[in-house]
Amino acid sequence: MKNSATTRQESDRLETKSWLNAVLARPEIGPIGVMLLLFGMLGYFSIPAGEFSLNPFAGEGFNALGIRNNLRVISQLGIIALGAGLLIIAGEFDLSIGSMIGFAGACMAMILRWGFAIVIPYLSFDGGMHIEFFTLVHITDVSALTAIGITMCFTLFFGWLQGYIVVKSGLPSFIVTLGGLFFLRGLTEVSLRAFNHRPDQTKGATTVTEIPDIKNIIEVPGYGEMEREAAKALPEADLTAIANSLPADTIAAITERLEYTYNRVAEAKTDILIAKGVKPMERALENALASGNDYMANIIQDKIANFKIEPVVAKTVTDTDIARVYLDSITTARPVANFFGGDILEPVFDWLYFPVDWNTNNFGNQFAPGLYSCVMIWVLLSILCYIVLSKTQAGNWIYSTGGNLNAAKANGVPTNKVKISLFIFSAFCATIFAACQVFEVNTADAAKGNLKELEAIAAAVIGGIVMTGGFGTIMGIIVGAFIFGIAKEAFFYIPGIDGSFYRVFLGLVIVASALLNENIRKRIMGTL
Amino acid sequence: MSAAATTPLIETRSLVKKFGSFTALNGVSLRVYSGEVHALLGDNGAGKSTLIKILSGVFPPTSGEITVEGKVVSFASPRNATDAGIGTVYQDLALNPLTSVTRNFFLGRELTRFKSPFGLLKMNEMHEIAMQEMKKIGITISDPEQAVGTMSGGQRQTLAIARAIYFGAKVLILDEPTSALGQKQQMEVLKTIRRVQQLGNIAIILITHNEIHARLIADRFTFLSLGEVIGEGTAKDLEGDDIKRLMAGGAKIGDLAKELAV
Repeated sequence: MKNSATTRQESDRLETKSWLNAVLARPEIGPIGVMLLLFGMLGYFSIPAGEFSLNPFAGEGFNALGIRNNLRVISQLGIIALGAGLLIIAGEFDLSIGSMIGFAGACMAMILRWGFAIVIPYLSFDGGMHIEFFTLVHITDVSALTAIGITMCFTLFFGWLQGYIVVKSGLPSFIVTLGGLFFLRGLTEVSLRAFNHRPDQTKGATTVTEIPDIKNIIEVPGYGEMEREAAKALPEADLTAIANSLPADTIAAITERLEYTYNRVAEAKTDILIAKGVKPMERALENALASGNDYMANIIQDKIANFKIEPVVAKTVTDTDIARVYLDSITTARPVANFFGGDILEPVFDWLYFPVDWNTNNFGNQFAPGLYSCVMIWVLLSILCYIVLSKTQAGNWIYSTGGNLNAAKANGVPTNKVKISLFIFSAFCATIFAACQVFEVNTADAAKGNLKELEAIAAAVIGGIVMTGGFGTIMGIIVGAFIFGIAKEAFFYIPGIDGSFYRVFLGLVIVASALLNENIRKRIMGTL
Repeated sequence: MSAAATTPLIETRSLVKKFGSFTALNGVSLRVYSGEVHALLGDNGAGKSTLIKILSGVFPPTSGEITVEGKVVSFASPRNATDAGIGTVYQDLALNPLTSVTRNFFLGRELTRFKSPFGLLKMNEMHEIAMQEMKKIGITISDPEQAVGTMSGGQRQTLAIARAIYFGAKVLILDEPTSALGQKQQMEVLKTIRRVQQLGNIAIILITHNEIHARLIADRFTFLSLGEVIGEGTAKDLEGDDIKRLMAGGAKIGDLAKELAV
């Protein structure tokens, strides 16, 4: 018998994809569509009532402050979604992320507030049996870097421990990290109460406050290191002295900038006063037109057209103003705290205010000082994760560990190390999240990070990560964080709708994404 | 028997494996020569799986020894066995269906720009090698980025075999390579095995319970039953009826036929 099928090869059965099909088969395409939809909603619904614009970026959702605040929510979620997402790709879960955020934040804040000590408890029999403490090490005035470092030791160890228990026991990571969730949250509350304990209190609070604004500590020439706000509140004579000590071109630049601001503010005030004066007349005009009193309407129209008001006079620039602007412009003396809690892109946002006049609020002042620095950290971490997952050996190990554990093992992939490393990375991301919060707001609270683990997992799922592991991309996780972070804002602006509908929407998106992901996975596995 | 004059590529001498009080292998001796396909036949529970697990370093024998090219070896882990040149292609093929051909081909042994898990992958080079190696044993793939899940069973088998050979397998252990495939795919796999055989420097141990396939391709046969070798010989030595009888664990096939006829 002749073989009649020789002309047709096995490889011919795989259709070469057209460009469009290839794009549509990308796992991120659905989420990107949803993201663009939400961007559109946020833009159009946030356009102030009565105005019309085809440009969605004209809406309040996309003004400078809107961008600043939305990106903060998105990037903070994005940071932990990276840790959660990579772990899911490797086939495991981490439910302890939220508690880890609370724990790390509290740990950092406590170290910054009270220092760090290693004590050894022992039983003492002097005057009745009780526990004494021997202090081995005690450091106070801990720097931001040291506080983060010490906290990392605890959190990364805990991440390692969870990973170790999971791979050695074979227990589902769901259970092990669920234990971690309760354990860490409890530990955080217990330690915060213990450290806040005062003799006159029976219970301490579960917050840490009164941490100095470390990121804003600056070196003021002639005055040494002090907090920015304290420096700006110096006596007038001191501020004048500071202003006078500045070089002429600095003074000129600051003066130009201040004059612009004062004029802009005066303009805005004048506009507001005109609007205030005109508004009652407009209402009267409407009434007149409604009642058909044309004579009256004409008079009022005339009055509106001729309405004049004395323009508000711009403030004059003083030496103290110059000194304060100068103090604002001094770069921080604590770069680590500023790296986590400060702002970035300040020159760009300055430029967008003056001369661009976009980053300007209704009162003529600069709207947003810059972006939160967690955005930069998120971008850096995302790039790092993208390179590791898509371009390195470790990435292939992560995919195979989640895709087919036995195959990975048989090919010599150190799957246990991969998993444990990713548990540690997840703890790392949570700690970074906590550092961003602590150094931004200078407080810590035991309730911080509540439910964040589920949000991180949800963002990863929305971004196309398959829950059973082995499939997903960093691009997807990023898009997922955008969707999750922006949904709330987008729904907030829809007129006449309860803001909580965003949760209803997210619930649907999560299930729809999971169904879509499963469909894509089956298509690739060849079972669909 | 001219081949017997040369040293076997791999040889086992009186391998015994006990799991507690259960004797899985009871003194199995086996000789496999390069360029030969050695069929290992036997019914379920005959000890085939135990034997290949010992050969591929999954667990050590209770007693007895293994030699590779005349030298006695002992494997503490599958990695040791791979390093000694024993490549095992398991039934599940140890592939990750969700990633690409290339990523599977180099799984665990990726080519990187510098030696570290965080070394960047040399993707282009890896694509090229994977395509080339698969072509050598007869399968052209159109796209090395293709997910393994979209490949046919025969293609996957070829991928796994090509991978084992590329990473230095002198002894190729194929565990039931045709069992889960359709008729046409089975022939493809057998052709692949034939091409590997023709390379001449590789010894193939083919575990199967399909005597038709074994007879089509094997040069030498060993029959296992209840942990012992109950028959061996070259293709010429064994007549068809013998193979059937030995496959059934030594039962007289004629008797069985009589029983069934009643």
